[in-house]
Amino acid sequence: MDSAENDAPGSDEPIREPRRHPWLWLVYLLLYAVAIPWYWPAGYRGPLILGLPLWVTVSLLAVLVLAAWTGWVISRYWKTVGEEDSHGGQ
Amino acid sequence: MGASESQLTFGWGALTVIALYLSSTIGVGWLARRSSRGHSLSDHYLAGRSLGFLALFLTLYSTQYSGNTLFGYTGISYRIGFSWTASILFMFSVITGYLLFAPRLVALSRKKKFITPGDYIAHRFGSPRLTLLSTLLMIYALANYTLAQLRAIGAAVEGLTNGAVPSAYGIITLAIIMVVYETLGGMRSVAWTDMIQGILLLSGFLMLLFMVPGLAGGLPAVVEHLSRIDPAKVEVPTLEGCMNWISYVFLFGFGAAIYPQAIQRLYASRSTRVLKRSLALMTIMPFTTALIAMICGVTGSVVLPDLALGETDQVLARICSLIMNQSTAGYWLVVLIFAAALAALMSTADSALLSISSMVTKDIYQVYFRPQSNEAELTSIGKWCSWIIVTLLVIVAIGTENTLIRLLELKFEVLIQIAPCFFLGLYWKRLRGETVLTGMVAGLLVGLGLTWLGYPRLWGFHAGVVGLLVNFGCCLVGVLRPTSQRQT
Repeated sequence: MDSAENDAPGSDEPIREPRRHPWLWLVYLLLYAVAIPWYWPAGYRGPLILGLPLWVTVSLLAVLVLAAWTGWVISRYWKTVGEEDSHGGQ
Repeated sequence: MGASESQLTFGWGALTVIALYLSSTIGVGWLARRSSRGHSLSDHYLAGRSLGFLALFLTLYSTQYSGNTLFGYTGISYRIGFSWTASILFMFSVITGYLLFAPRLVALSRKKKFITPGDYIAHRFGSPRLTLLSTLLMIYALANYTLAQLRAIGAAVEGLTNGAVPSAYGIITLAIIMVVYETLGGMRSVAWTDMIQGILLLSGFLMLLFMVPGLAGGLPAVVEHLSRIDPAKVEVPTLEGCMNWISYVFLFGFGAAIYPQAIQRLYASRSTRVLKRSLALMTIMPFTTALIAMICGVTGSVVLPDLALGETDQVLARICSLIMNQSTAGYWLVVLIFAAALAALMSTADSALLSISSMVTKDIYQVYFRPQSNEAELTSIGKWCSWIIVTLLVIVAIGTENTLIRLLELKFEVLIQIAPCFFLGLYWKRLRGETVLTGMVAGLLVGLGLTWLGYPRLWGFHAGVVGLLVNFGCCLVGVLRPTSQRQT
């Protein structure tokens, strides 16, 4: 590694990153809490939805929402200097 | 609802198709060699930091979803049923893990030209002891990971041929092919073959989704049948089971996200924009893989209800045997699935192997044996390393017994202890190398100590996760201590 390199921010330097926004992680916490089936009665199976027990379907839907949420977080809350520059130039 | 199994062997046509696929990986390796731009470490181990969206996404995908996803996950679904829905969640959690450190690591890696995770640790903490211990732990974990892949192919070959072909033959043949194309073109070879393997893997999984539940009359029939014969497999997990889900989320969110080969893919992306798009798409991939593996496993527990515990990792291969004997179309579909299984194994193992080679060469050989070595020499040493490592792993893979999923868990107990270097080190400026080292050793002692004492899980939490908690605690104490105490 070249120790002589300067510390000026490169074009990949994050100017906005998910970790800096606690509320995003509160939403994650909530969605993970829905995805983990702790809240059903013991021994519950439930009716079949899409061929799967209800609790499985609910967990899968929660993961699907988590995926959509993450896509949105990546696009809105992970911004680099280079991306900002390129937007500015358009 | 049991079905009889019969002797199964691939005909010459099928063997030719598989041989063609395997040869194509060597051809891709040769093409990658022609596209290489010199003998630099960056070119060999990171494809010159040039991976575009498709290559990066498919190499991330085929590296993350492995032979274990196909065989280990179907095996555990066979054993525990729908509780393995946890796998869809924890495979997703890897992406959440990336979001907690990747933005900063990627920027730093481009600026400082990192090749290995050890480069970052050395740069950030300036502690040779910490860098060496982290590197050794990563090499151990990856060697274990590669071993699991090699054993998975042994299980696949043996299962598909009902024992007619011993697993050792499959392991040796695949290992040689893998190391040949990897030596030819390094990361470029691995990423390009991953593209073929990723597409094959995805096609194989989709094929399984359409074919396997039908063997038992469809998914609803599977659930209803299991509700009668083994209701625990369709019921919601117990509270301890839910704790285990949480533990898996931590294990993968912190552990799988810092796999050296995964971190090197972050380094190898052409741009941050490409990386972001690839990670966004990766969020939905558990549905195309882990979910299908679970469906196959639970269907297997209805169609093949009498497998012994040690045989459960072969349930997918046994199911394929059934499909194959039903029709000519089924036969050829299984050939494709078998090729996908080989692809899953090879794409994960080759990435891990390349990563081990880079760490042995850059973080150990160069630092401790030949500090004055140039890049061409290091690249050459790295290629020799790959051959030596794969030989050792093949010998171990052929001579050991274990279920695949246990192998998978044990490597995480170790690897996860490096997590604070990335998750905390990138953000906590006051975190010092000695503190991280103390936490790492404490975490290892707790994680491995609990495992060896016969407590691989405490209230559903993996011993490694308990160790990580202690590890994080040490880091927190180290950071909160007054400056005067930290300097003494």
